[in-house]
Amino acid sequence: MGKYSIGEFEEVVLLTVAVLFGNAYGISIKEEIETRLNRNVSVGAMRTALDRLERKGYLRSKFGEATAMRGGKRKRFFEITKSGKEALEQVMETRKKLWEAIPPVAFDFKFA
Amino acid sequence: MDPQVPKIPLKIFRWFCHPDLVEDIEGDLSELYKTRYENNKTKAKLHFTLDVLLLFRPGIIKNFEPFNTKINYAMLSNYLKIARRNAMLYKGYTFLNLFGLIAGITSSLLILLWINDEVNMNKFHSNGEHIYQLFRNMNQSGGIVSTTRSIPKPAADLIKAEYPEVNQVALFSWQMERTLGEGDKTSKVMGHYVTPEFLDVFSFPLLVGNKTTALNDLNAILISKSTAISHFGTSWQNALGKTLLLENSYEMRVTGVFDDPGTNSTLEFDWLMPAEQFILNNDWMNDWGNGSFSVFLTIDNEEKARAVAHRVLGEINAHTQGASNAGDETLILQKFEDTYLYSNFDNGVVDGGRIDYVRIMTGVALLILFIACINFMNLTTARADRRSKEVGLRKVMGAQKTSITAQFFTEALIFSSIAVIIALVLAYITLPYFNQLVGKQLMIDFSIPLTWIVIVGLIAGVGILSGSYPAIILPGFNIIKSLKGGIRQGRGSAYVRKGLVVFQFVISIVLIIGTTVIYKQLDYILNKDIGLDKEHLLDVRIEGDSTQQFNAYKNELLNLSQVKAASGTSGNPAAYGRSTSSANWEGKDPAAGYEVNVILTDEDFITTMGMEMVNGRAFSKEYNDSTNFIINEVAANLMGFDNPVGKKLSFWGINGQIIGVVKNFHMSNLHEPISPLIITCIEPSSSTSMMVRLQGDINEGLEKVEAVTKRIYPSMEFQYRFTDELLESSYESERTASTLVNIFAGISILISCLGLFGLSAFTAEQRAKEVGIRKVLGSNVWQIVLLLSKEYAALIFVAFIIAIPFGYYLMQDWLNNFEFRTTLQPAMFIYAGLASLIIGALTVSFKSFAAANVNPVQSLKNE
Repeated sequence: MGKYSIGEFEEVVLLTVAVLFGNAYGISIKEEIETRLNRNVSVGAMRTALDRLERKGYLRSKFGEATAMRGGKRKRFFEITKSGKEALEQVMETRKKLWEAIPPVAFDFKFA
Repeated sequence: MDPQVPKIPLKIFRWFCHPDLVEDIEGDLSELYKTRYENNKTKAKLHFTLDVLLLFRPGIIKNFEPFNTKINYAMLSNYLKIARRNAMLYKGYTFLNLFGLIAGITSSLLILLWINDEVNMNKFHSNGEHIYQLFRNMNQSGGIVSTTRSIPKPAADLIKAEYPEVNQVALFSWQMERTLGEGDKTSKVMGHYVTPEFLDVFSFPLLVGNKTTALNDLNAILISKSTAISHFGTSWQNALGKTLLLENSYEMRVTGVFDDPGTNSTLEFDWLMPAEQFILNNDWMNDWGNGSFSVFLTIDNEEKARAVAHRVLGEINAHTQGASNAGDETLILQKFEDTYLYSNFDNGVVDGGRIDYVRIMTGVALLILFIACINFMNLTTARADRRSKEVGLRKVMGAQKTSITAQFFTEALIFSSIAVIIALVLAYITLPYFNQLVGKQLMIDFSIPLTWIVIVGLIAGVGILSGSYPAIILPGFNIIKSLKGGIRQGRGSAYVRKGLVVFQFVISIVLIIGTTVIYKQLDYILNKDIGLDKEHLLDVRIEGDSTQQFNAYKNELLNLSQVKAASGTSGNPAAYGRSTSSANWEGKDPAAGYEVNVILTDEDFITTMGMEMVNGRAFSKEYNDSTNFIINEVAANLMGFDNPVGKKLSFWGINGQIIGVVKNFHMSNLHEPISPLIITCIEPSSSTSMMVRLQGDINEGLEKVEAVTKRIYPSMEFQYRFTDELLESSYESERTASTLVNIFAGISILISCLGLFGLSAFTAEQRAKEVGIRKVLGSNVWQIVLLLSKEYAALIFVAFIIAIPFGYYLMQDWLNNFEFRTTLQPAMFIYAGLASLIIGALTVSFKSFAAANVNPVQSLKNE
């Protein structure tokens, strides 16, 4: 597994933060995941994932401006860190190696 | 308008969310909410709440103190050590504290067991929620309604046939004694005639036999396990199909054996037989005018039950209309499970019953527990200055108020745990005696969770309650003052202590007032002139319709030197319940339904009973009195005669006239008013009771009467009751209440005095120097005793004043249960006040006297 441990949902969140560069805060991340992956995400699930990623050092955050839409509360913008990028790369690398290791016959369903 | 985020979920969220996260998540939530709000308002609110709920997960919840702080074992063991040392240092106070708590908890435990048993009566039927019982209200003269559980059988048949809401109808006869078996295995056992549905409606499982067919045959009999064992020995399980002789003549086939109903059931029986045969033999049951069976119904839910109750109300009147014996009767429905606790009917409406005693005892249990906790609070805070240096030092070392609070709660919890454990042992030991007192078979069942919940609850409740006050007071001590020594507690805490002492004594005095009033009322009802002489009045059961046999029996009895008089009656007049609604008299309002009691007897009735005539004459052999009646004063009033003698009266088809009025006498216990009554001597031979007035040696007389009875009625068992004993036994629950209140009044005053003793000892100790100086200056011992005691005497006096209105209200309320009652007299209150004042004064002076006797040199030598 290497030195980076990361779950499937965490990976999705991390990637989405990278996609939304500069505008990655709670709601935008949630909506992005919902539209791209066509699945429902609860605020709670997403927040815990973001929190966990930040504590692992893959994300960092800073407060943005407050808006009336948010009842005067500030947004917390997330940004991917270098180790976050490394973690994503490692996941992709592992997958790629696994794909490459599959013998062609395994996917040949003609005789199955 | 800007939509407002739902407030309550938001508050909950703010409460549990980690402070670092709260701002932006809240922002997210409200942003989402506002977007959703534009689509659908209700859904938005719902989603918001759902989001908040889903946010309640680790990682977002803030760190709550109790979950977060590691339990500090070092501190805890320190608390334990200090608690132990303090307890051992002041053994006397520790003893007082524990003793009070133990006495209080033991009493409460016993009471709780009793309450639990009362509340669980009849609760074991799996179908219990759906079982209802019918009651019949008989509207009598003068607006009085009497309620009975015996229902006309046709009403039950009608419900079975025409009420779709009712699933099952079970008939249950009154209790009867039957002779079972033959030869040396004969036994007389109680049981009931029931319809087959009975076994379905109630959960009396058959150990042997099939419940669907067991009651189908006319000669079937079901017996209890104990009866089976006494007849068939250890092989009782093979009793199925065996024959059992009934009344020495009928061969019955055993079709089932059921488990003995047990003490949790008010339905008790050792045999069950099919009601069908019984009904065939008793044709009168098919009349709408005659009540016969208890009727139980199963109904699916309360809504349907209400519909049934509504419909059934007027059924009797609808079917008896126009009949000669028609009364005004209604049927009402009560949930079977409630029939035990709510068994009193006042004018046809349920009005308490044993539930009153359950409530009283619950109150007593809580109050006694509270009194015990007060002792703990008072003794701990009064002696707080002993601990002030410790508190000060702890604070200097960095202890926060919360940790000192925790310390005193810990101590209280330790005390309460010890007390609860010892109390459990004590309760276990005293339980057999308590059972004897209350006539129950209570036990502590450690295998059910409820027991453990109660135990833990008691420990926590007592610990927290008794620890609360010290835990608030002690941490507030000023560090410097407490270390310098001599914390002077403010007047506030002294007032609280005094208030609590007053409270304790208010409760004790109210209980003592209760004791005296209940005692007075029992004395009153047992010694009240009930209008007939109940002493040495024997009630012998007889049966048979032969005039010859009856006359022979009566003559033989009268020949005995121990028999002063004898009279055959249709029942013991001191516990009577046979009535008619068909009485007619001159000038009666034809529309009014009146229920009038009827006693059938012979000419010697009035003299045998020792009754008094207020008007006219008694029956006499010199006249032909068979169509002459005697009525009581209530009946005379009801009929509205100024001079009833000579007026015409008819009932049951007998036309006759009134020849006399007998002074009112009680026909049931004193809870009930006196009913109107007609006495007739038309057919003495049908008597079911022979009332025998004994004189001289009562025991010898009883033996002689038994011999005569057995000779004349050889087939009958000799059954008798002394009338005074019969009446006494009808006040059983009052007697139990009296004993219990007595005991618990004693315990509460004991606990209160323990506390008082501790407090007075403390005062004496504190004022030791003052006492020393006073003695040096010439005070004598008694002046000092008075000085130290008068403060507490004043408290008890205040308690007494407060207790009077409470006691008055509560006891008047209790007395109102009785139709005939003693009046509350000031003496009862004064007695209670004096008793507690004397006991309190003795308690206080005990220590004061010791303090006053100390040589002043001892108390003044150190400064």
